[in-house]
Amino acid sequence: MEILEAVRVNLLSPAVLFFALGVLAAVLKSDLKFPEQLYLGLTIYLLIAIGLKGGAAIAEAGLARVWLPALAAMVLGALVPLWTYPVLRLGKLPPVDAAAIAAHYGSVSAVTFIAATNYLTLIEVPFEPYSAAFLAVMESPAILVGVVLGKLAARQTGDAFGASLRTATHEALFGRSVVLLVGSLAVGAVTGSAGMKKVEPFFITPFQGVLALFLLEMGLVAGRRLGDLRKVGLFLLAFGLTAPLVNGALGVWLGRATGLSLGGTALLGVLSASASYIAAPAAIRLSLPAANPTLSLTAALAITFPFNLTLGIPYCLELARRLHP
Amino acid sequence: MTPMKLVVIVCEAHAREPVLALLREAGAQGWTLFTVEGEGAKGGRPADIPEFANLQIEVVVRPEVAAVLLERLARDFFPRYGMIAYESDVRVWRKDKF
Repeated sequence: MEILEAVRVNLLSPAVLFFALGVLAAVLKSDLKFPEQLYLGLTIYLLIAIGLKGGAAIAEAGLARVWLPALAAMVLGALVPLWTYPVLRLGKLPPVDAAAIAAHYGSVSAVTFIAATNYLTLIEVPFEPYSAAFLAVMESPAILVGVVLGKLAARQTGDAFGASLRTATHEALFGRSVVLLVGSLAVGAVTGSAGMKKVEPFFITPFQGVLALFLLEMGLVAGRRLGDLRKVGLFLLAFGLTAPLVNGALGVWLGRATGLSLGGTALLGVLSASASYIAAPAAIRLSLPAANPTLSLTAALAITFPFNLTLGIPYCLELARRLHP
Repeated sequence: MTPMKLVVIVCEAHAREPVLALLREAGAQGWTLFTVEGEGAKGGRPADIPEFANLQIEVVVRPEVAAVLLERLARDFFPRYGMIAYESDVRVWRKDKF
């Protein structure tokens, strides 16, 4: 019963309800539209806000406590493509598409992470305030592993077109979300809680409202792609729902193994369960242009993202509860 | 006034860097780019977020550069990216700029 209650509380949070409103508006073909620049502005705000907060928390906790779970998170991100790739190949997907999708699922979604921290705050489950560091280190490794897998596959078919691994590395490491997140983690770590106090009225107090706005926009963006579900096939649909369950369990297990609290364990589960739909597509389109972007993007954005936002987050918390008696 | 070719490329936003690299390689001296939305064979690109937009890239080049450019686009880019390209005749002032 506890898990049903957890799901109910999550579904009725303002963030998720606004997401649902966005999806509904898109499905009803409403003319509701956010300016593209507002979307960019909101992402910059959200990433800086969680980066600063996480950085200040690192300053307080000390790197000694952060490095082990952060390293584990990084390794987990890199390993996820290694199991998803063969599974996707079993589903008869071409090698380069399997590699592209594997990269998306190993990488992470910042919004899913933020929504999860929001949910934990709502139900008063404490978590390591420095967990934004895990988000920062999990974005790139899987993209690189996916690119290497795809390049190896493409070499066999003789299709070597696409940017080099070096360019892909640059794209994965210096994409705007990594730069913003790592940069503001560093600023937060330098300025500590004193610096945090100065920016609190702007970056902490309005955070919930900005997140609600952003999820409304994400609902619109995801809702506009629901039509593409017909193009991806049943196998990928099933994959998009199963991968977060398996990856979530892996993340939760690793969180527990590296000594994270109940909340932190759930968050690592959510990170592992989430799939990237901004950073990964950009890097993959550049280095594996032969991969069909509709497949990976629809799976990550129209299937896995809504699933995690609604059910995946309480699922990871429930798994974490079972490991934290 | 000097006759030149205007080459217009409308492509998915993710093709931006490889297309710009090709323009430099083919010998274009400059380019203009703007974000557009639209729909085509690869589905809609609503431009609701920058990554899901189309880009329209316009470049004025000498006819021989346009030929190289379009040939390379046809060979390497058309099979892989959502993209169209076309050229037309234009006349320019200050031909040394191109």
